[in-house]
Formats: sequence, structure tokens, C-alpha cells
Amino acid sequence: MNMKISSLNVIYKNKSHCIHALDKVKLEIKAGECTALIGESGSGKSTLANACLGILPKNTCFSGSIALDNSPLNYCNEETINQFRWKKIALAFQNGAANLNPVQKIIDQVTEPLLIHTDIDKATALKIASQSLNKLGLSPDQLLLFPHQLSGGQLQRVMLTMALILDPEVIILDEPTACLDAITKSLVANVIEENKHKNKAILLITHDLEFAANNSNTIAVLYAGQIMEQLPAKHLLTSPKHPYTMALARSYPATNTARDLGGIKGDFCLRTTHNNHDQPTHRHLTHNKLHGEHNTNHIPIDGCLFHNRCTQELTLCKHQKVKLIPQQDHHIRCLRNGIVNILELKEASKSHDGIVALHKNDLTIKAGEVFSLVGESGSGKSTLAMIAAGILKTDSGKRIFKGKNMDELIKYNYKSLSKQIGFIFQNQSSALSHRFNIFEAIAEPFRIHKITESKEELLVLVKKLLTDVHLPTEEAFLKYYPHQLNQGSLQRVGIARALALKPSFLIADEPTSSLDPSVQAKVVKLLLELQIELGLSMLFITHDIGLARKISDRLGVILQGQLVEIGPASLLFGTPAHPYTKFLIDSAAGLAKIYIDHNQTTTPLKSGCSFSMHCPRAREHCHQLAPQIKLHGERLLACHYPLPDYIKQHQSNLYIKQNISDQDLHSKTLSTIAS
Amino acid sequence: MHINLRTNFISDPWFLIGASFTTLFCLIALIGPILSPHDPWEMSFDPISPPTIEHILGTNDCGQDIFSELLYSIHNTIFFGLSSGFTTLIFGVAIGLTSGWYGGKIDLFLMRLADILLATPSIMILILAASFFHPSPITLALLLALLMWPTISKVVRANTLILRESLHIKAAKQMGASNWYIIKRHLLPEMYPIYLIGFTSKIRSAVFMEASLAFLGLFDPTRKSLGIMISYSLKYYYLGIWWNWLMPPIICLSVLITATTFLAISLEKVMDPRLKESLGDNLA
Repeated sequence: MNMKISSLNVIYKNKSHCIHALDKVKLEIKAGECTALIGESGSGKSTLANACLGILPKNTCFSGSIALDNSPLNYCNEETINQFRWKKIALAFQNGAANLNPVQKIIDQVTEPLLIHTDIDKATALKIASQSLNKLGLSPDQLLLFPHQLSGGQLQRVMLTMALILDPEVIILDEPTACLDAITKSLVANVIEENKHKNKAILLITHDLEFAANNSNTIAVLYAGQIMEQLPAKHLLTSPKHPYTMALARSYPATNTARDLGGIKGDFCLRTTHNNHDQPTHRHLTHNKLHGEHNTNHIPIDGCLFHNRCTQELTLCKHQKVKLIPQQDHHIRCLRNGIVNILELKEASKSHDGIVALHKNDLTIKAGEVFSLVGESGSGKSTLAMIAAGILKTDSGKRIFKGKNMDELIKYNYKSLSKQIGFIFQNQSSALSHRFNIFEAIAEPFRIHKITESKEELLVLVKKLLTDVHLPTEEAFLKYYPHQLNQGSLQRVGIARALALKPSFLIADEPTSSLDPSVQAKVVKLLLELQIELGLSMLFITHDIGLARKISDRLGVILQGQLVEIGPASLLFGTPAHPYTKFLIDSAAGLAKIYIDHNQTTTPLKSGCSFSMHCPRAREHCHQLAPQIKLHGERLLACHYPLPDYIKQHQSNLYIKQNISDQDLHSKTLSTIAS
Repeated sequence: MHINLRTNFISDPWFLIGASFTTLFCLIALIGPILSPHDPWEMSFDPISPPTIEHILGTNDCGQDIFSELLYSIHNTIFFGLSSGFTTLIFGVAIGLTSGWYGGKIDLFLMRLADILLATPSIMILILAASFFHPSPITLALLLALLMWPTISKVVRANTLILRESLHIKAAKQMGASNWYIIKRHLLPEMYPIYLIGFTSKIRSAVFMEASLAFLGLFDPTRKSLGIMISYSLKYYYLGIWWNWLMPPIICLSVLITATTFLAISLEKVMDPRLKESLGDNLA
């Protein structure tokens, strides 16, 4: 049975204000599929589940329709609701301990729906209940305990069993894995898989992104009551299209990502309206503060709800209404049609005096992401950085920055471009004039852009920046010269300078290569913190592949001026496809030995692959013909003979083995109850 | 910062020696004509008499007071040197910076012009100009400046070329700085020592040039100048006047040049924070 939710609105009414929990939610849960609903807490996930079951609180406005196989469900009164509740739509509640009766034994509570909704006798009901509980890993002894005697994870499984016991058509699982350990989680995954085969429709509400990505078919991302994106599950962690989904994915500690956890800038807001407005034309963002006090900032928002936390917001985002628009296999609610590219290089090349520093390369950097470029020294990393920053001109090709032609911007309006791009140099001791003290060095961008001329105002601005990068703001420190500071502090001064004009794109060219690991750790942490807090997009150039692993969302590998592999960092580190990528990763760990093919007869041509001499997989024509960069799944790759995906593990179907046969179990349960 | 600089200067012997002598000469140049006991053009004394109390350095062949003559000569020589040196510096720096920063055709044109001027012997042009047009000393100083700028501008250009590739200028450029901003805030202050060295060396050349032109008799013979004094005194060296007539102008010339050089070295050392740190105060 398919469940179709269309234009579902839920508003919680309070004495003083209303909370808009759901706003025109449209969702289809197909039979035999699992649809996952993800989002931060407070986004309205559980409200949706409760609305489906008709168990919303009394002071709630509810509109829209929920239909099962095109016949709308009637939520008028308890009687009509009871016709489908539990039998057709069942919900496994989130908090097991709070939703179970503390004075009844587990087994009795699980049997209860069977006894109420069906005609079977108690013995059969007990048998069915104990079997289903056993399936989820609860031993017969535990069935006779009271809820408080079980752990949270076990209670969760009890809730799940209760929901499944009547074999409903639509199963809603509200955070089924919230307090489960990894092994028990796989039991839940099994239950979902089984029910999919039974052609049930499953709505999985979770904030466990990886679980959702692996166990569902489609995913809907909910933010403040609106669906922001609806996407195929496999794209969730690697190629989301909405900035919010990307930020969520980055905040989630997935098992295969190496990057440090990011976050989303700003705080989550509830949507509220005050009751004294008759018409809810005026919406307010209310910060959900800890102390229950509602700090309302009176911003009327018609526009995107996420705009204040977004990495690519325009002023228009604040005011223009956005609809959920289908785009290939995604549905996106974004004025800018999903994550935009902040920088695009198209066939950009550069050579110095006949030496090719950069071959024709295509590169896109998305808004809000950290893109790392790794490669050995002399591979053209810095040239690419300079080209991206607009410091160097390209010999050929196009550069597009925020949808505008960069070469034209450089020609006619360089100042506006330079304001939007921050550049952190490798060697700050030479990037800061030795005649400038710290104050003058940091005030330089303000002076160049004539932000202010007065020394007092400059001092305020400079001190704010220094605080941002965790440097002292005393007068004495401001009077230091660059050569009097240590490398770590100098790098921070460089970061402060790069961030002075509030750029949206930051290019860091080996910012930490001259630092020792402990200082490097601090500087990198600071950079990432600022990246999240300011919603920056970042191009991080490094030769340190270990560092790139820790910071990047996406990774590009450059070999002698040619990008050979570009893709999500987790993918490239997990299963490198280009032999050079693997070579780099192994070299970083000190494992690689340079391979030289002594048996080869032909000398490699200039037109051949640059790595062919050292590549153990190279064949005859690798030496003659360079591979073109092509899209292979999630990654771009330039290799004739890519490495096989050797880490693709087949999913293990884990069952906890039960030695007790069903018959034994049944008699044992009965005898314990009797005694 | 200023307090630091002052203490640094005061503790630097190079500065002390250079500055004291330069100040002395400048003072002489300024108030020398007032101090002089006699009118240097007055020919009413006994010619070629040894020093007496009235005439500290004696009198010359025309019966003029050598001491008064010396004071006037220092005044003239220093003003000639300063005006010529200063103008040369302005020309040199302006042309060198333009040439180095903008490059291209401007650079090509200006540097070929400089090459032509470098190949031309400036003394010849000055002799020709002086003998044909009898210009005033200040015109001659400006003419000299027009001929002397290439050496300064070549050095400034070379340094500009180095600096424009340096990271902090690239950083400023990346931040959107205009040409004028970079020239004003980065290039000009960055090459401060070069100006001082150039300025001093040009003062020295100008002083020498003035002395040589005067020595060759290309100035108005009644003009008071260290060169003319040396030139005249040499005619009577057999009379044993070397110590009271020949030596004073020679010593003044040498000390003047040495003092300015000392001053330049010290300024460079103290003004450049990096040099200061690496050389310390033990350089002297």
C-alpha cells in the first residue's frame, strides 16, 4: 500500500504564539520501499509521524490529507482513526522508556494490540509476541521483565516489535536506532529489509544519516517543517544538491569519511507567529533557547527558511518564496537550484616560457565545501591556486566565479573580485611586508578598499579580526613586526588578513607546510572552524595527503599539471582509482616504493600519461596516449586502467544466532508466566 | 617606534660621526657667510701672507682672506651638491619606478634613454654647456641632474623588478591594491636605503663635478668654490702655501663626503628593521 501525504500543515498553538511545525509537506511512501526522513531535531520529523497516526496534541491545527492507496484517511474522530491505526499504519515510538507502561511486563504489552485488534486467543498471541521479540534479539527471560529493568536499546526493540506485531501496511519508525549499538542496529536494518520484501511501505525517521542512506530508497530532508530536498538514498553522503543536506552530511560522523566533523553555521530556528496577528502573514524566527525563553528576532520571512545559515545565500533568498522543484532524480527547494559552483575553471591552462605548468584542466568548486588539491611539488598546485585567485592570467580557457566571467571582472572590476576571494600564502614571513607592523599588515586590506581611514575605526576592525583568529589584541602586540612573531602566529595574521574583507571564497596555498604538527593542528582547526562559521568555500592546496584527508569534502589529485582524479574525499581515500592517487596515499605513509619498469621497450612519449613510467598497471599505449578525464560514478578520473574497487565489501547479513527452537521458547515462556 | 629609532640612532657611532660632521658643514653653509670675518672678494690685504690672528688662514694671491673664501666656498659647494643630488634622486626614482613597475614599452624607452645617457660623458656636455652658454650654477646643477639619473633609476628599476615578484606585493595586489597604493605604501618605503645611498653618492659626484668644473675654470672666476680655491692655490704651491691654502679646501671636501657616507650607512642600518636585527648594534 502506498501512503501519500499531500500539503500537510501542522501548527501547534500556544497561548502567546503558534509554532509552524510542518508546512505543506508532500511525501509519497511507496510500498516495498523505505523512505527516510532526516533533519535536525525540531525540524518536524516526529510531528509528521504523529500526524499520520492522528495522535497530535489537542491544540493543534492540522490541514492537508493523508491517503492510503488514493483513499484519504479520516482523522475526524477516534473511531475512524482506530480503523486504521495499528492495523494499517503503525508507529514505533522514539522514546521506549516513556512510551511503555511501567507496571506491565514487556510480553503483556506486546500482546496487547494483538488481543485488542484481532480475535486470537491469549496463548497464540503470547507465542506470536515472544517469537517476534526473539527475532529482534531479546531472550525469553527478558520478556518477563518490566520496562525499567531493560536497557534503552532493548526497549527500543520492544517498541519496534509492538509496531510490527499486527503486520501493518505502513510502518513508521521514529528514530529506531537512536539508542542502539551498531550490532543491534543491523537487526533493525534486517527488519526494514524483510518488510520491504513483504511489500510494506516504510517511513524511517532518523538522524542517523548513514543508516538512512544504506537502508532506504529515497530520503526527504526536512528543515523547519519544509522539505528541503528529496533525493535517492545513495546520493545522500556523496552528492547532495541542497546546501542544508550537504551541511547535514558533513556534521554526521560517517564511518568512511576521514574529514573532521563540520557543522552548520548559526542556530536552528523554530518558526513561530504571534497570536495577536490575526492573519499569519508575519513570520518570525525564534531561537530555541535553552531556558525556554523565546528570543524573537522580528524578521518577516517569506523566503527560504535556511537562508541565514546557508553558504550561498543571496539577498533575494530572504524574500522570494521557493518551491520544491524537481531536478533529475532530486527535488530541491532552493532559489539557486541547489548547491552552486563558486568557481569553475574550463580548460584553463598556463605555461611559463614554454614549460607547461598547467595543462587544460576543468575544475569546479562548490559553495560551502572544502576542496583539497594534492600533488607533489612542481605539479602546478600553486599555479592553479594563483589562477583561481585571479593573480595569474590563464593562457587559454575560461574562469567563472559565481557565475560571472572572471577575466572580465579582473579587467574591469578587480576590486570587487578581490574582496570576495581571500588568499592565504604559504610563507607569511614574506607575504607580510617587513616594514609593516601587525596592525598595519592587518589594516592593509581595509586601507586598500578604503573601508575607513580613521585610525580608531581601523583599530576596532583589526582587534576584532585578531580575536577571531585567537591572537592577543594588546597594543604591544599590534606593534610587533612580522619577524618578531613565531610561524604559527604569523599564519594566523595571514588568515586574519585574508578574512578581513569577509570573502566568500578562501584559497589557502600550503598554509601549514612550514609549521610543526602541533601548531599546524591549531591553525588547521582554526581554519576549519572559521570555514564553518563564515560559510566559506575553500580551496586548500597541500602536498600533505594526511592533512587533506582530515579537512576536505572533495579532493583533486594533480599530476604534472593535469588533474587525474577528482571526487569526494571519502571515496578517493577509501578506494583510490588512479594508481597515482594510491601511490600518493602510500607514499604519505612511507609505504610506497617507486616502481620503475625496466622491461619496457618503448620510451614514453610526451603525449602519454605522465605516470606511465612509474605505474605498475601501465601498458603499451599508456606511454603514447594520455587518458582523458571522464566521469566514473561519483568521481572524475583520467586513467586507462583504473584500480579495481578492492574495498567494496559485500554487506554481511548479521543475525544473532538463537539456539532455542520456537517450541522450546513457547513452552518456556508459558511455564514462566504460570509460575 | 620613534623613540626606538631615536635611541638606536643615538647609540650608533656611524650616525654620530656622520651626523655631526654633516650638521657642521650644513651650519657652515647656512651661516658661514654671516660668520666670515672679511668680505671674500675684498682685495685690500697683503697678497700671499701666512696666517695671522686677523687672517686665520692667511691671504691669497689677490690679497683676499682665505678663511672667508673657504666659508663661502663650502656654502656654494653644498648647495650645488644638494640641489643636484636631490633633483637627480627625484628623476632617478620616478623613472626607475615607472620603468620597473609598468614594464613593457615604457620600460624599453626609458631604459634605452638611460643607456644613451650612461654612454655619454657628462663632463663633456657640462664643459660644452658651461663654455657656450655660461649658465648660472643652479642651471648647471639641474643639467647635471638630468645627466646623472640613469644610475639611480637602474638600481631602482632592478629593485622594483625584484619587489614586484615578492610575495607581499603579490598579496597586496591580490587584495585589490591599485598601482598608486602599491607604489606609495610598498615600493617607495621599501627602497629607502637605495635612495640614501643614491642621494649621497650623487651629492658626492655633484660636489666633485662642481670642484672639477671650477678647477677647469668653467665657472665665473670670481665665484667662490672649493674647486676654484684648489685650482688657484695649486698655481702657487711652490711658495709653501699648501698647508694654509691648498689643504683646507681639500680636507673640507673629503670630510664632507665621508660624513655623508657615514650618515647614509647608519640611516640604512637603523631604518631597516631586518638589518637592525641581523646586524645588531655591534656593526660599528
